[in-house]
Amino acid sequence: MRRYARLYAYFLRFSFSRAMEFRIDFFFRVLMDALWYAVHLAFFAVIFRETHALGGWSWDQTVIFAASMFLMDALQMTFFSNNFWWFPVLVNRGDLDYYLLRPVSPLFFVSLREFAANSFLNLLLALGIFVWALARYPEPLGAGKVALFVLLLLAGVYLFYLMSMVFLIPIFWLQSRTGIREVFWSLERLGLRPHGIYRGWMRRLLVSLLPFALLCSYPLEVLFGADPLRVVLHTAAVIAGATLLTAWMWWRGLRSYSSASS
Amino acid sequence: MSPRLFLHLLAFEFRAQLAFRATFWINALAGFVAEFGVTWFVWSAVFRESGKEVIGGYTLDGMVLYFLSVVLLGKIVSGREFEGAISGDIYEGTLNRYLVFPAPYTGFKYAQRIGFLGTAFVQFALFGLAAILILVLPPGNVTWASVGMAAVTTAAASVLYFLVDNIIQYVAFWADNVWSLDVAKRFVTMLLGGYMIPLSVFPGPARGVLEVLPFRYFFEFPARVLLGEIAPGEWAKGLALMAAWGTAAWVAGRLLWRRGLLRYTGVGI
Repeated sequence: MRRYARLYAYFLRFSFSRAMEFRIDFFFRVLMDALWYAVHLAFFAVIFRETHALGGWSWDQTVIFAASMFLMDALQMTFFSNNFWWFPVLVNRGDLDYYLLRPVSPLFFVSLREFAANSFLNLLLALGIFVWALARYPEPLGAGKVALFVLLLLAGVYLFYLMSMVFLIPIFWLQSRTGIREVFWSLERLGLRPHGIYRGWMRRLLVSLLPFALLCSYPLEVLFGADPLRVVLHTAAVIAGATLLTAWMWWRGLRSYSSASS
Repeated sequence: MSPRLFLHLLAFEFRAQLAFRATFWINALAGFVAEFGVTWFVWSAVFRESGKEVIGGYTLDGMVLYFLSVVLLGKIVSGREFEGAISGDIYEGTLNRYLVFPAPYTGFKYAQRIGFLGTAFVQFALFGLAAILILVLPPGNVTWASVGMAAVTTAAASVLYFLVDNIIQYVAFWADNVWSLDVAKRFVTMLLGGYMIPLSVFPGPARGVLEVLPFRYFFEFPARVLLGEIAPGEWAKGLALMAAWGTAAWVAGRLLWRRGLLRYTGVGI
């Protein structure tokens, strides 16, 4: 474990020094995410001019949902996104060989090698919006509920990673430029709106096979009165299933990997 | 650039698009279903929870038809996947080979872009028809005349989008990576261009400003022309404004191109 922590510290140092080489891009990244936050808040603000609720949530609740979404996005952009970007390249060029030869878990290396230092500032910005959204909520939320909510959000980040990998690993068999990663990007949109707007089979799908609702919407229900035990057990079960599926797909993928010609 | 070369480039890019056919159609279908599906669920919820029958001048069916047009025409106008091609050439130094070609670089890239969009036309027809049949949407005020006007408007919008996008692409002469800037532009144009919300739902003062900005001409204007919501006089005025914005973007692009070429080393990464 200590070896992995030390290795990750090297990843961080390397990422920060490289980010400093592209200073203008650093600024553009901050601008991009700030605009993404502004666009989503404006979207919900305009919608709430026409309705008092969206998916059963009030404006104040939707602001917390949006802030949770920003935090989730900033976390995945900082820790995982660059790794997701490089993964198909590693497989298609056969560069995965170098990771397989090292005396550490190749999945650890592939998933965490690239820390996006230029997104780190956005993480602080998103965290600021998150704290502001919770602080401006007109009713008391309770420290215990907030703590559980934050824990579930972090579990959501892990679930996001697992889901991304499930859509990335097929690159071992498809051998195309991006595999079905774009399908994930498209489906990801389903999680960017409150879960309550969905109806019928779509609502069930989003908490089971395509659990995008478990990333932000479901954790939020703990804050607004849902049974915490039910939410925790449901989230844990889905995460366990997704972990097993990812591990199995990774194992099968590695067996199919044929180095440079893959 | 000769029309023959233009068509050759266009056809070549179109064929390249279909190299990974299965993956392409899976991505295209998932993209359309998710994007249009989310919009449908959002607006169904808004109509249901507000109890209103009409929002921003649209009934729920009208709103769904509007977004169907915006999503499908938006693909033709923006050619999202082609974004970054020019900045990539500058960053990687592959611009070198275009500079020695006996054809203008911008024309070359536009031909490639149109070829790239070939599949968007197929998606427009297939997905549009499927959505109308599945959701049993009324045709609204769509007529043959509005379809013809929309074809002209969409072509003009595509050129305008390309010219505005070029301004961002040419920033790559000064900054190594403009991907983030590209994405930021996309966020802004989607909100202010009526892609996320019809402009008629925006508050009055904001609407006045958005009417004269170029963004609505990428998405909202072609969609409303197709749906027969724009009278011929207003359409002509809109085309004139598009021409004005296009000229301004072209001039700005030329200035950046000339200054950028003076800095360009051709070494690449």
